[in-house]
Amino acid sequence: MPLTEDTLSCLGAEVPLPKIDRALKELWSSDEAKTRASLINFAIYSEDPDSIVKNSEQMSRITDDNACRALLITCLPEVKPQRARAWINALCRPYQGKQVVCSEQISFVLEGGDAAQVQNVVFAHLDSDLPLIVWWQGDLTKNFEERFYSRIDTLIIDSGRWTDPVSEFAGLVAAKEVADFDVRDLSWTRSHFLRTALANSFQDAKAREHLPLVENIEITHAPGQRCAALLLAGWICQRLGASLDEKKEGLVFSKADGSTLTISLTEKSQGCALQSLRLTAPCLEVSITREGASAFVHTHASCEGHSHEEILPADVVGDAELISEQLSRAGGSTHYSHVLPLIQPMLARLS
Amino acid sequence: MPFPIMPELENPFQETLLQRHRAEPCTVVIFGATGDLTNRKLIPALYNVAAEGDLPPQFKVVGFARRDKSDDVFRQELEEGNRKNSRQGHSDELWASFSQSIHYHRSEFEDLEGYKALAELLNKFDEERGAPANRLFYLASAPEAFKPILEMLREAGLSQGVNGKWARVVCEKPFGKDLATARGLNETVAGTFEEKDTYRIDHYLGKETAQNIMVLRFANALFEPNWNSRYIDHVQITCAENLGMEGGRGGYYDTAGALRDMVQNHLFQLLSLVAMEPPTDLSADSVRDEKVKVIRALRPLVGPEAVGANVIRAQYTAGSVDGVSRVGYRQEDRVNPESKTEAYVALRLFVDTWRWQGVPFYIRVGKQLPKKATEISVHFKKPPQVPFATARLPGSSENTLVIRIQPDEGIALRILCKQPGQALSMQQVKMDFRYSGSFGKASPEAYERLLLDAMAGDATLFARRDEVESAWKFIDELEHAWHKSPNPPPMCEYPAGSWGPKEADDLLRQDGREWRLL
Repeated sequence: MPLTEDTLSCLGAEVPLPKIDRALKELWSSDEAKTRASLINFAIYSEDPDSIVKNSEQMSRITDDNACRALLITCLPEVKPQRARAWINALCRPYQGKQVVCSEQISFVLEGGDAAQVQNVVFAHLDSDLPLIVWWQGDLTKNFEERFYSRIDTLIIDSGRWTDPVSEFAGLVAAKEVADFDVRDLSWTRSHFLRTALANSFQDAKAREHLPLVENIEITHAPGQRCAALLLAGWICQRLGASLDEKKEGLVFSKADGSTLTISLTEKSQGCALQSLRLTAPCLEVSITREGASAFVHTHASCEGHSHEEILPADVVGDAELISEQLSRAGGSTHYSHVLPLIQPMLARLS
Repeated sequence: MPFPIMPELENPFQETLLQRHRAEPCTVVIFGATGDLTNRKLIPALYNVAAEGDLPPQFKVVGFARRDKSDDVFRQELEEGNRKNSRQGHSDELWASFSQSIHYHRSEFEDLEGYKALAELLNKFDEERGAPANRLFYLASAPEAFKPILEMLREAGLSQGVNGKWARVVCEKPFGKDLATARGLNETVAGTFEEKDTYRIDHYLGKETAQNIMVLRFANALFEPNWNSRYIDHVQITCAENLGMEGGRGGYYDTAGALRDMVQNHLFQLLSLVAMEPPTDLSADSVRDEKVKVIRALRPLVGPEAVGANVIRAQYTAGSVDGVSRVGYRQEDRVNPESKTEAYVALRLFVDTWRWQGVPFYIRVGKQLPKKATEISVHFKKPPQVPFATARLPGSSENTLVIRIQPDEGIALRILCKQPGQALSMQQVKMDFRYSGSFGKASPEAYERLLLDAMAGDATLFARRDEVESAWKFIDELEHAWHKSPNPPPMCEYPAGSWGPKEADDLLRQDGREWRLL
């Protein structure tokens, strides 16, 4: 669907590219905003023209919690001739009843845009000395090349929305070998509440004693969330020191003592992305479930006649909230990096 | 019921997710559970920790107090308090689950049988869990009850962990009222719990900006090389309160005063963080080793003359704050009309170390001041002004780094800039970082952080015995000069709503300095 001026009006005031800085200055001098805040450069990159309104709304929600130089990049590589347009806007949020804390947003529509154009146009408008975090929406297209990702400090993706996860993961791994950027995968973030609840369940010494005996892991997920389930399963197996059993079909892992660990994934159309996780051993059962869109997960653990239940917070579900969650959490993505090598062979088993 | 001691296996899921230690299953016993602190701070803090998913599994709270009530009544009272005071609001679903972990135990603090019954209750919880749990005893009662509680805990065998689990005690302030009582209390605590299991709480250390002082100093090359007497002219620490003795607080306050209520603990903790040497690592004892050295290095003020020359005490007289009339200190509810207790104190202190030789630290704290604010300001020396000898300078032209502890937590740096125009005029400008503006998420309440730390065994943000005693040793000399010498320094006065007595202004003026205008 072609972009209309009506659609683009949500981006604020259009400004000629060479006058972006001057226009931003005027915006701040005329606006009632009292504080311009910025901790990062945060960019949303999309090649889907239909996403522009939604992304503009997402950006507004993200800047509620994360002060940043916001960059909305809509790249349309197939459109000819090459043309770049820009808009500026102030995203303000109230603090103590007044519109006082604002982030500035620059939106670009890059027709015929390739990686060079992104580099020339967008990267010239970064807030200097602040890290660049890019939320790349959709598949890693040909624009995802070294000139682009070598400038990125953190790349946010959603592997659950890739059309061909096997090749996309391969492209991601290859890029990471060339450039040193952190990766945050929203499919991985979606499992955070389950991982936290799982860790909590095994704070119990008795449950922990039986952990090496776990034989089965069952995960229920929503359609399109297989990557999230596999990343979660891969992480659990990796933490238990189990590796994918090459002699067996399906998702069967073997542990150091020779015993096996079987992963079962169940797709269920109702409910959130990850709906339940169940670990079973001869004398242990730990289950973590989230009902519908509940703000909490319920954990149930039973071991040698004792059982207990807990209620723990569940993660947010919306994309903007997931991004905010990522941005507010310091630290790298070491755990995800460790799971990354496991995901490709697991996907291959299921294909 | 005896439990076999099981080998401590690592939780492989926990270590990968969290950058801080987590507590094993534990029970928190709160003494003085029907008091204001429990209702307003402790339970909302635990609830918010639960809302963040950070409570250990199979967590329990037992409220220990004298009044007779059931678990249900106790829970209902706490629910009302939580609705009012919870930082993240109140979820009925979460409260329904969380409140099931709350229990009430009625007993007198001096009744050994009550403690034996408590032990039985805790053992029953352990049986239900199927494993022994750790125990955290939180002394939120009146301070005079600390001693009997500790003695009874020991008598009842509750001060030792069961089957390899720990037992810890958290002591609320005030920790003593002078060196002798603090030592006595420390002896009692030491006779019941090991020092490593003793957590003396100072909620100022749980505040985000207080924790940030070490990061600011030691993680930024910009500041650390300049953080000494060569570049710093002086440091001011201000804790201003715009309230008086509301809510019957006069009864306690009149026995303590600003010096003992605030300076001995909170402000000395802030002073330590500002003046300490870099610790070798971030372990609790490394940090506290450096902090206590600062207190020990405070130049003693002995005798009324030295105290009079460096410490100003005052009481407020009638005035108005925010346009509301306020009575004088001696007219306040539950305050002795002839009280000799200070509601304001200003001190000029010196830390006699290589780093701080000759640098004064000015501290002031008071009630009924114009606004509520706690901040540290570091005033740098002026550079040689030779190139700007003919330039117009603003009245106050030194660089100042301000660390705002509360409210509006943040850091501001004041620097000189050329004012636009043909003439060379300079103007002060402020670079301002605000937590609220830069980070959307609200900082956790100090009690949330500190309770979690106590459960996780991280004592970094708690005062150690030698810190407390060193601080009291210094404070005792001042109290002695005020209350036991034949020629005590005068009690000054200031009208409520002003920034303190004229004598406090003079204290800095005689050094060619002035208090920062907040």
